[in-house]
Amino acid sequence: MNVIYLIIVGVAMVILLAWAFLTNRLQKDFNTMTWALIPVAIAINIAIGQIVVALKLPVYLDSIGTIFVAVTCGPWAGAITGALANIIWGSIVDPNALPWFPVAFFIGLVSGFCASGGLFKNWWKVMVTGFLVALTAATISTPIAVIVYGGITASGSSFITAYLLQLGQSLVPSVLITNSLVEPFDKISTCLLAFTIVQGLSTRFLARFPRPENVEVEEGVTRTQLFIAVGVVIVLLALYILFVVKLVNK
Amino acid sequence: MHERLSFYVKRDSFLHGLNPLTKLTLAFGLTFVSFISPWYWTPHFVILLVIIPLSLVGRVQREYLNAAFRLILPTTGFLFLMQALFQPIGKTVIFQFWFLDVTSESLSFAFENASRIFAMVSSFTLFLLTTHPSELMSDLTRRGLPSQFAYVIISTIQIIPQMQSKAQTIIAAQRSRGLDTEGSFLKRISALVPLVGPLVFGSLVEVEERAIAIEARGFTSTNRKTSLREIRDTGFDKFVRWLLLMIALVVVSLKIWLS
Repeated sequence: MNVIYLIIVGVAMVILLAWAFLTNRLQKDFNTMTWALIPVAIAINIAIGQIVVALKLPVYLDSIGTIFVAVTCGPWAGAITGALANIIWGSIVDPNALPWFPVAFFIGLVSGFCASGGLFKNWWKVMVTGFLVALTAATISTPIAVIVYGGITASGSSFITAYLLQLGQSLVPSVLITNSLVEPFDKISTCLLAFTIVQGLSTRFLARFPRPENVEVEEGVTRTQLFIAVGVVIVLLALYILFVVKLVNK
Repeated sequence: MHERLSFYVKRDSFLHGLNPLTKLTLAFGLTFVSFISPWYWTPHFVILLVIIPLSLVGRVQREYLNAAFRLILPTTGFLFLMQALFQPIGKTVIFQFWFLDVTSESLSFAFENASRIFAMVSSFTLFLLTTHPSELMSDLTRRGLPSQFAYVIISTIQIIPQMQSKAQTIIAAQRSRGLDTEGSFLKRISALVPLVGPLVFGSLVEVEERAIAIEARGFTSTNRKTSLREIRDTGFDKFVRWLLLMIALVVVSLKIWLS
């Protein structure tokens, strides 16, 4: 059952890439700036991951570079950056990163689509993007955690999974619940940091990337908007947790 | 001072002389077999009877064992502990600890899982010890990999150590200016922006220079590019690759047949 899910994810990645290639959507994301940006973005992912470890923060924040590429260059460039980041990091430093490359692929893809749809232009929209990215990441990483590691990975959040398992939950829902509790915090703060970075760059610089229109910041970011943002996220999170709990109780 | 981000050890051996693609297939094949095989002891056999002798053939046994004990053993050991404690399977309880119980089933499951990961990491370590990244890339480019991908992979390998040392420099510099990186949780969160900012903006500005530089060197040119390195691909290489593919197929059919 789980293996079939994993195969579906793999086949979906190939079909999506082939479709984007044949319809020229893939090529639109790439110019020389994109190719020059990708290695730097991967290195940014890894270096920020290190800073976070040095600060002992309970998040990963290891996809800021991927999301930056996805926003400024497009979903397909983001997807390829994410997958390559995990493959390269996995094959030269920490092989535990290798099995997670489909997760990074879909993080790039989804954040890129959100940005093209105009969801990367002010604070609360960025938070919605972060939330959608987190849902994707949780869904894709669950079967990988179950198949490769039997549900218990080497990360600290596996403690929650173990607790749920001891309560008598079955494996897949436990991992899914753990992921959907942990991911939103990580991915929303990742997106917010990426947004801060984009805002700090000059329009002239951003204009050289394939999709500068994604990041034309909407003016008038007020306190009310921030409240809307927090409200939207809390409501979405509550709905999602309700959904998961319902799924589990079945 | 940039530390090298490559395991590669320059030796003159049979394994070094093989085609890079053959060695890559070997690494993937061994990983695949250890994960898919229906027998419990396969990963252990792979490690003892294939990987260690191969490291002797490649004359990198010292480097391999070094990596195995200092890098691979701690991570897989940690994974083993986590799994043995947290897996709820099995009934034969060996001992209990808080709400967790260690059963003989969870122990054997954890051991198998840890050895699979050990075999996977070992086969890739062996591959990286005997293959220079740019050799692999020029071979793959010759076989039709777009040269842009080769550029991305090679330059990522070069940039990562630079970026890591830059991150360390920025952490040290901000600390010396009095930035609190070890205080309360809120202090540490607010330390994030002054650390991430300089790192990211500094390296993003370089992107434009890089783009101009590679553009000036004909990066987007569609003409056929020549390579400085000549990479051998013998009949033996082809034979080994086909053999590995056959073995993988046999293992899959065995798995389906036995289950």
